Amino acid sequence: MAEKKYKCLNPTGTQEPVDILPLAPRLDKLDGKTIHLSICGEPDITIPLEKRLKGDYPNVNWTMKKTYGIAPLQLSDEEMKTTDAVILGVCW
Amino acid sequence: MPYLTDLEAAGIPTVLIDLAEETNKVKHDALVYGVPGMRYVEASRTMHGVPDVDRILPSVMDALVCPLTDEEKKSGTWAPKEPRILFEGTLEEAEEFYNQTENIPGILNAPFARYTDGLPVVLPTEERVERMLKGTSHKPDEIIKLQRDTYLRGIGEVNPGGTRKKGEPVRYMPMGRIATVEQVAVNAVMAGCKPEYMPLVLAIAESGGGTGDGRGNGGSFLVSGPIYKEIGMNVSYGRFSPGNPPNKTIGRVGSLMWRNLGGYKERVSTIMTYGDPVTNGGFILAEYAEGLPPGWKGLNEELGFKKNESVIMTCRPGNWGLGQEHMPGVYRSLQKSGHGAIARFLDVKGKPGPHNYIEYITDGVWRTYEGGITIILVPSMAMDMYNYGFKTKEAIYEYIWKKSFEPVSTYRMRGRPDWFTNGWTSIEKTSGKRWRELPDDYMVPAGGESPFENCVVVCDGEETASERFSGGHGAAYSIDAWR
Repeated sequence: MAEKKYKCLNPTGTQEPVDILPLAPRLDKLDGKTIHLSICGEPDITIPLEKRLKGDYPNVNWTMKKTYGIAPLQLSDEEMKTTDAVILGVCW
Repeated sequence: MPYLTDLEAAGIPTVLIDLAEETNKVKHDALVYGVPGMRYVEASRTMHGVPDVDRILPSVMDALVCPLTDEEKKSGTWAPKEPRILFEGTLEEAEEFYNQTENIPGILNAPFARYTDGLPVVLPTEERVERMLKGTSHKPDEIIKLQRDTYLRGIGEVNPGGTRKKGEPVRYMPMGRIATVEQVAVNAVMAGCKPEYMPLVLAIAESGGGTGDGRGNGGSFLVSGPIYKEIGMNVSYGRFSPGNPPNKTIGRVGSLMWRNLGGYKERVSTIMTYGDPVTNGGFILAEYAEGLPPGWKGLNEELGFKKNESVIMTCRPGNWGLGQEHMPGVYRSLQKSGHGAIARFLDVKGKPGPHNYIEYITDGVWRTYEGGITIILVPSMAMDMYNYGFKTKEAIYEYIWKKSFEPVSTYRMRGRPDWFTNGWTSIEKTSGKRWRELPDDYMVPAGGESPFENCVVVCDGEETASERFSGGHGAAYSIDAWR
């Protein structure tokens, strides 16, 4: 006699559909742009990074927000209007 | 990652600097938040910062200026479908299917369970899940949502707390999935729960199912109210030991929800450190309110519920066994006749009790730890504390909190406050001033921001021992709302 077959249910949660976005167009040049440095964690990396960026790219208008937390301090809507690019690290 | 998505969507190019072994997680999150092409550069966990920056700087700047590839320009929808019926076959075949593992490179190719916590499970057949669903009046296809406004306590400025609103769907992390009552029931069956446990299991699901921010370890829960008796939870001797089905199986549910509802997969969807031995395998404990001294509130009342309401409270017992150790008999000697080690410590030799056990048990707690503590007392010990002078639990909380104060100069030597004071730039609550502005001799609490960060729970038993662990009060969820 054939062994009874059972239907077993799925324990995983429901992943809602996600809209996939293209990346934003990249910059045509660096000079004259406002680039925001968003620092969260790992000062051993971010302190020399900040120095190098400001030293090597003096024609960039650098802005910065810094937190010891793992969640970055975000730009306001107004700040986003005047920001051309963002470098974020070392957490996300 | 949602922030980076918002920036890219607003037309602002970004580049993320991560640590090399986190890249799998970065790619994973980038997909979940809709920017699978996210550009990243890997920093080193071991190299000195200066040469490391020399190494990564060209890549960081290239990521902002190099034109997009065709792949990076793609848009669309990511909509993975999970079937309701996962497997059909004999019980033996199903057992093999549900207990399958995969090897994960990030943990040295050790096997990792696809659907379980690593232990065998009860197979979630349609019939068993249907029976489980009889334990609640909620419909199987109902999405798990918050049943009331819920306050979540944060940690300092970098992780502030806040109120989440009734009706918000619960997101199971790390994938940010949602879940139905039936999906929770499937996990309850797999954990070995009985239908009568369902309201409690659903309250755990409402709390986030032990998934936390994706690193929840399956969670840890304190239960208050009459439900413990209805379903037979052990609140007495051996309450943390094997043998009691509700304690063991309900405690286990969080781990399964973390794996299945949240999609926890080590080094792929989540980056933990090394786990938590206190909560691994489940952590649940119920209060014995019948043992409370007069005037002491049960957890449910402390948290804004009625005495006859059943609730769960999330807790954080990761630091276990805080404070002074002692044999149970040493406590009895203290209170009966003023003899033994605790009497020596309290300088009450030869004087019968009641004496202040809380003073002894909290000695040294904050030497290597910051935050509130939870203390489990048996009824006779709670009554001793009442007779000593703690006429309310709040009086104990205040006493413990005040005892935790220390000079800023000492507090600065601690490892974690760099983080939760945000580099000493945030406001210290007792002074209203920035941490950096405080003089060395200013006294600050190492025991959390308020007395309510401490918690006392009474459980049954005559053996005069206490359990102490980190965490204090957490967020509360109604079990009755899920009946």
